[in-house]
This record gives sequence, C-alpha cells and structure tokens, in this order.
Amino acid sequence: MTKHTNNFEHESLQDKEAIVSYLKALTKGIEKGEVLFSDDEESLLLRPNKISRLRIRASQSKKEQSLRIKLSWLSDEQDSSDNSPLFIKPKKNKQSD
Amino acid sequence: MSSLYESLQFLLLDVQKQLQNIEDALDHQDPAFIEKSLNLMDYIDIAHLNLLQRARHEYQSLMHDSSRESQLIVQSYEHVGHALKALAKQLFDMAVQLKKICGSNLLHKHNVFSAFSDLSKGLSLVLPAIDSDSLGLSIDICRLQNRIHQACQLQIEKYKKQLRTGQQTDALLKASFILKDIDIMGDALLRVGEGIISANLGQFIQIDRYHALEASINDLKQDISLPDLRIHSMGETKSGCTISGVRSSKETEGEILAIFKEGKKQKLLEEKKGIDSWNKKFPGIAPEVYSYQKTGDKAALLFEYLTGKTFDKLLLQKERKPLKAGLKTLFVTLEDIWQQTRIDEIHPANYMQQLEKRLKNIYKVHPDFNLKGLQIGDMKQATLEKLVKQAAKVERKLKVPQAVYIHGDFNTDNILYDSVQQHISFIDLHRSEYLDYVQDLSVLMVSFYRMTNFDPDVRQLIRLAMEAIYDFGQSYAEKIQDEDYSLRMALGLGRSFITSTRFVFDKEHAKSMHFKGRYLIEQVIQLDKANRKKYEIPKEIFHD
Repeated sequence: MTKHTNNFEHESLQDKEAIVSYLKALTKGIEKGEVLFSDDEESLLLRPNKISRLRIRASQSKKEQSLRIKLSWLSDEQDSSDNSPLFIKPKKNKQSD
Repeated sequence: MSSLYESLQFLLLDVQKQLQNIEDALDHQDPAFIEKSLNLMDYIDIAHLNLLQRARHEYQSLMHDSSRESQLIVQSYEHVGHALKALAKQLFDMAVQLKKICGSNLLHKHNVFSAFSDLSKGLSLVLPAIDSDSLGLSIDICRLQNRIHQACQLQIEKYKKQLRTGQQTDALLKASFILKDIDIMGDALLRVGEGIISANLGQFIQIDRYHALEASINDLKQDISLPDLRIHSMGETKSGCTISGVRSSKETEGEILAIFKEGKKQKLLEEKKGIDSWNKKFPGIAPEVYSYQKTGDKAALLFEYLTGKTFDKLLLQKERKPLKAGLKTLFVTLEDIWQQTRIDEIHPANYMQQLEKRLKNIYKVHPDFNLKGLQIGDMKQATLEKLVKQAAKVERKLKVPQAVYIHGDFNTDNILYDSVQQHISFIDLHRSEYLDYVQDLSVLMVSFYRMTNFDPDVRQLIRLAMEAIYDFGQSYAEKIQDEDYSLRMALGLGRSFITSTRFVFDKEHAKSMHFKGRYLIEQVIQLDKANRKKYEIPKEIFHD
C-alpha cells in the first residue's frame, strides 16, 4: 500500500512575526534532521540529508513579489539490492602498540 | 579554409538529400524514393574524397604555419567529413534493407519519424554551428544523439513485445535492425558535433556516449597491406588517432593480434614514451610495443592487444562480484606500483591550478556555471575563481607524500581488468609522470560518477565503486602516514568534478557535478587549522 510520492501542502495568510516563526520551525527541524508536517488526516516526516540542494528564487512583477525556497535531497530508502561496500578497509591496529 | 567549408557544404547537401529521400520513402511508402537515395551514394563518395583532398592541400599550405589551431581546424573538418560519410554509409545499408519491407506499416511509427526528424535537424545545424562563435549549436547537435537513441530504444522495445506474439516475426526483426541502423546514425551525428566543438575549443574532445565505441566501426582500411593480416578499424581516440585491430586472416574468426594506431607523430611519440617508461618501471602493466614508424609529421604504432574489460564496461554489466574482484586486483596492483616507483621527491598535483587552467573551456560549454558573486541578505557566495584562489593557498600548505609514477589520465576506460588472469593493464599512457598518487584516484572516482547512465542499479554501483576507491586510498594513506589525504582528495575531486563537466552535456548531471565540486572546495576553505586534521569527505557526496 506504499505510495511512491506523498504530498503535504499548506497555505494561509500570516503576519511578519508568524512567518518568522514558521521559518524558525523549519530551521529547527532541518538542524535536528527531522521535519514533521501534519494535519488531522495525514502526516509526513521529512529527514533532510546532511547535504541538500538549495534553490532560492526571487521574482518581482508589477502586481506581486515572491520568494521561493526549495530544498531537495535524495531519500535514502534502503533498496533491496546489496548495499555492502566493495572494499573493506583492513583493521588498523598493526601500527599501534 | 573556405575551400574546405565549401566542400563540406556539398557533402552535407548530398547527405541531406539522401536522408530526405528515405524519409519520403517511409512517409509515402514508395520504394522509388529508396532508389533515388541509393543513387546518391556515389556523389557522396566523391564529395567526401574531394573534402579529403582539400584537407591535404590545406595541410601542405600549413607546413610553415606551425600554429596548432589551424592544424586542428583542418583535422576537425576531416573528422566531420568522416562522420558524415559514416552516416551516409549507414543510410545506404539501411535503404537496402528498407527495400524489403518498405510497404509494411511497421516503420510508419512516431518514434521512427521523430528519430529521422532529429537526424535531419542535426544536419541542418551543422553549418550554422560552424559559423557560430559559441558552442550552443554544436552541443545541440550532440544532444540530439541521445534523443535519437531514446526513440530507437523505445521502438525496439515495442517490436520486442510484438515479437513475443509470434506473428510477423521476419518483418519485425528486419524493422528492429533498421532501428539499430538509425541508432548508429545518431552516433555519427554525435561525432559531427564533436568535430565542430573540438575546432572551437582548440582541443580534441570526445563526448561521453551511452554506448561503447564498438558500434562506430568504420570502413576497412585498405591502404596498409600487411601479408596475411586483416586490419579492422576500431575507432578514434581523443587525440584524433585512428585505432585498428590486426587479425590474422587465416582463421575466419581470427583473434586480434595487435593494435595499430596511427596519427600525429607528437601524440604517438608521447604514447610510445609512456609505454616504454612503464615497461621499465613496472613491467607487465602496459602493452608491449612491436613497432614504431614515422613519416613526416605522421606516425604509426603497432602494439600488443591487451585482453580484459575496461572498468566502465565491467560496471555496466551490473554485477557486484566481477566489479568487486576487479577493484580488488586494481588496488593490489596500485599499491605495488606505488611502492616500487616511489621516489625521494615531492611533486604536488596543484589541483587548483589544474582547475583554474580549464575554467575558460568549462564556461564555453556551460556558460551558466560562470556565476558572478552572489549575495542574499548577509550571506555571500564567492565566485568560483575566488574560491579556487583561496583553496590554492590552503593547498600549498598541505603535506604531500613522496611522488609515485602515476597513469595521468586514469579514466575507467583506460584500465583493463582480465578476470581470467586476474590482471590489470593500463592503456593511453601519454600523460604518465611522477606525482601525488591522489591525482589518479580522484580522477578515477569522478570518471565513474560522470558516466551518463542513470539506471538506478548502475548509479548504486557507481557510488559503491567511488566509496571503495576512497576507502582504499585512505587505508593506504594511513599506512604511509599521509595525514592530509582527505584534504588533497577533496581538492582533487573538486577539480575533477568541475572540469569533467565539459564532457557532460546532460544539463542536470553536469549541474550536479559542478555543485559537488564547489561544495568540496568550499569545505576545505572553511576548515580551521584544528579541524583540518580531522577532516573526512562526507560520503553523501558520492550519492547522486
């Protein structure tokens, strides 16, 4: 029953202070390595990688200004195929006493 | 050069006509067009000969002009001419086949028409690409190869499905062969693009392709007649040499006995010197040279044919075991080489200097990588040039171990693994020198990564192979107490990730390589002295 993609979307009107709180909540989650998105029906847990791609787009027209921030990373779903290393480092206790 | 341009124009026009006739034949299902296209082959032969003759004249008039650039331009015209001729020959062979099933609906398919329209689009871009100062159009020509390949693959898959029903098998097989022919024409188109790019960059380059060079077998070489031997063309190298396999003609399926390589004297001399020096320093790793001959500025080299598979092919088999065994043998061999060739001198690789030298050519292929300094609020991002300068300062302070003899162009397709004998051999040895061993390792890792095959199984093996090479290097570094291994590796990888983008035209793939390279260089700069000793490359960098 696993779906290939899961979506969570949120849209609302907020004042400056609230927006900063949202952004802080996101930064906190990124630092922790886990961001939880949920509402009554569904929840989605994202685990940002140590390294992710960051895309920032700012645009300006007569009518509107907008700022889009996109973070993306590959989810490391452990697939069934053999993931064990192709080279095993020899144990390094020869040098030490 | 205007006479060369003119003769290329004629050749091109004839090939375009030939292609148009085939398209018409398919479109109207009328074999009369096929006849017309077949008749054009004679004209194409003449136009091609004419181009070669004029190229010879140009070479003669360039005798006193030693500039590499004009030589390369003539060479590029020859390259484009050969590729067009190969395309025409393929069209001709296809037309012969087509006669047999022209009336069939099997080829009246969207994928077939799309492949043909990409072919003719490619041809129509040739002259504008030559006229243009930028590389955009010639890159477009190269990119069409991939689209043609995709269309052909899709259609062949469909035929395969139909074949399982057991009906029309004969016609379906013929149609599949025709699609294979079209696929090969895409390769010829790629070579046309390469030729134009090479002339523009002032350096002969060859774009990574989806399938091996094997498909691009040219006409038989008849001008060299050795008794009892058959010479079989096997393709061209980055430096513009042609390579042929020499087989004994007695057996029908004669084994290849030797490799015959001919081209510019300077290149071949370098290669011969490389082979000779390896044979002195580490016998058994390089092919044996049977003979070397020169006339004027041309030369020919006859050397041992090495058995085994190159590492890119080994990986594309998608099997862990042989890849693991190959890497294991490679690592043992490398340690042997490094121990035996170590000298009492330090030769830093100067990764950042290598990168700086190539920046101009990278931007020619990917102008959008040339970012001016960026600032968002308080955050600033330096230009790549600035990063490279800063990193070069850090690099100068890094400890480099004793130099070893390195391959110098350590790409996956320059290393052969013979699984029966469990033996590694090296080819393409014209850039071997004494240097930091990390140079070869970092180049090899990126040459795995840059493969333009996006099958998830292949990508996983690429990641594992890169990790294995990194770990092997690290364990060797520990053995010889090379403390700055990870830092030099980060700069080496950074250099190779970024410079290799000029051979990668898949935009997303090139971007991902560029980002990785930049990230690694930034990391090295940002470390303070205390953290430098502890630094390890994040393994995430090997993921896509």
